[in-house]
Amino acid sequence: MNTCEKIRTQLSMLLYGELSFDEEGAVDEHLEGCAECRAALERERELHAAFDQLEVEPPASVLWESRQSLQRQIAAEHSPSSPRVSWWDQFLNARWLQSAGALALLSIGFFGARMFPSLGLGVTGMSLADPGEQRVRSVEPAADGGIQIVLDETRQRVVSGGLDDQNIRVLLLSAAKDPSDPGLRYETVGILNNRAQTAEVRDTLIYALEHDENAGVRLKAMDGLKPFVQQPEVRKALAGVLLSDGNPGMRTQAIDLLTQGVGESSGNTTGNVLGRDIIGTLQELMNRENNAYVRQRGERVLQLVNASRETY
Amino acid sequence: MAQKAGFQTDEKALIRAAQAGDQDAFGQLVRAYDQSVLRLAMNLLRSPEDAQDVYQEAFLRVYRNLNSFRFDCSFHTWLYRIVTNLCLDQMRKRKVRKEESAQFEGADGPVDRMDTLQEARAEGDPQRSMFSGELRQRIQKALGELTARERMVFELRHYQGLKLRNIGEILGTSEEAAKNCLFRATQKMRAALVDFV
Repeated sequence: MNTCEKIRTQLSMLLYGELSFDEEGAVDEHLEGCAECRAALERERELHAAFDQLEVEPPASVLWESRQSLQRQIAAEHSPSSPRVSWWDQFLNARWLQSAGALALLSIGFFGARMFPSLGLGVTGMSLADPGEQRVRSVEPAADGGIQIVLDETRQRVVSGGLDDQNIRVLLLSAAKDPSDPGLRYETVGILNNRAQTAEVRDTLIYALEHDENAGVRLKAMDGLKPFVQQPEVRKALAGVLLSDGNPGMRTQAIDLLTQGVGESSGNTTGNVLGRDIIGTLQELMNRENNAYVRQRGERVLQLVNASRETY
Repeated sequence: MAQKAGFQTDEKALIRAAQAGDQDAFGQLVRAYDQSVLRLAMNLLRSPEDAQDVYQEAFLRVYRNLNSFRFDCSFHTWLYRIVTNLCLDQMRKRKVRKEESAQFEGADGPVDRMDTLQEARAEGDPQRSMFSGELRQRIQKALGELTARERMVFELRHYQGLKLRNIGEILGTSEEAAKNCLFRATQKMRAALVDFV
């Protein structure tokens, strides 16, 4: 094998960064003086780039389904009918624990998660007599149009019902604020978005918009509030997003929502199209915004309503 | 570096908590790795259903056997050993059955199931849309002709970006053997695509 042939067998490993220091040095040295091998290296790069085109990123829906299914299987392994019983299950199932001392013991906490007091839910499949504490583990739409909620008590249970069911709603409103699981909050807010016409749900969405640390959840909550953008409390929350949300995408969306219709009625005067409070908020934004795109969007709106860029 | 060390410490704490029965800690471990596990299975098996089966089985095995994990290797290596074994089993079974679940019969001939996953593709990306369907088919065919082991090493190195040393650890072989495997895989791929590049 001559030098060029030997070098070409190493080009792929060179691109993968898998040659030893000495091997790489020898290849580099040869390439400097050999145009044909440099061309071969270029072809190798093209080949690698062609491989890249075939890579598949799992769709979010497949990942989500996989997580849900895994969660169900693990919950099933924890069920009392399963032959695999952990020390914790044995402990909780002990007969003496069902005495009056149980409540005090359970209040120590389950899985270290944040709990809320037992709701005494009148939901099919739940034992109302059970004392203890509960936490919503996951929520998902059911095939029949209802909602399925997996609940952690002393063990996980499945609770089903429609959005009209007060018990289901209470669980959802609590899950939307669960600080330990952004995925749960995201799914919950997505479901609540269909019921934002009730003030109770809207308040929860506003809370998520203003306080959730996860931008995905905040964005989802904003989606649910879109139809109610004329409501004063929603506008106030969006103005808050504009001035204090750390995510430029959120700020851009807030501008779009608060200024809906501005471009379509450019002949109107300032006060008719946008409230003065919103104009003031936009001017305030211009004073502090660092993101060029958000600034540009804000400036454009202010121009359309003939307002100055800044407050004086 | 400090960040990586921090993550490893956190991960150790998470594993220990999960071993002690903390479900939230287990959930965090799953979420840290499950996307790359699913991607690996999907790329290797080219079937969302088979990839989901591998995902389920792998994490259930982790769940059931976590107490036997003794930190002799990284959690990533341990998890990937489980996942790659499951994928290799599937790939070998397919070879035996001569079944190609990566494709189904469409109106205009065989269609790669991954091509139906529009969500996964960068729509409107001119570079992708210009990519020759013929070349894609040729690459797929060439990948299909690799041995299960060559396919695995190629996948782990090219698509998952793992170093050969780590791949050797996962597959229970030496770095040198993994390198030879990758070398054979790339040689075969180059030979199959010689008129395209």
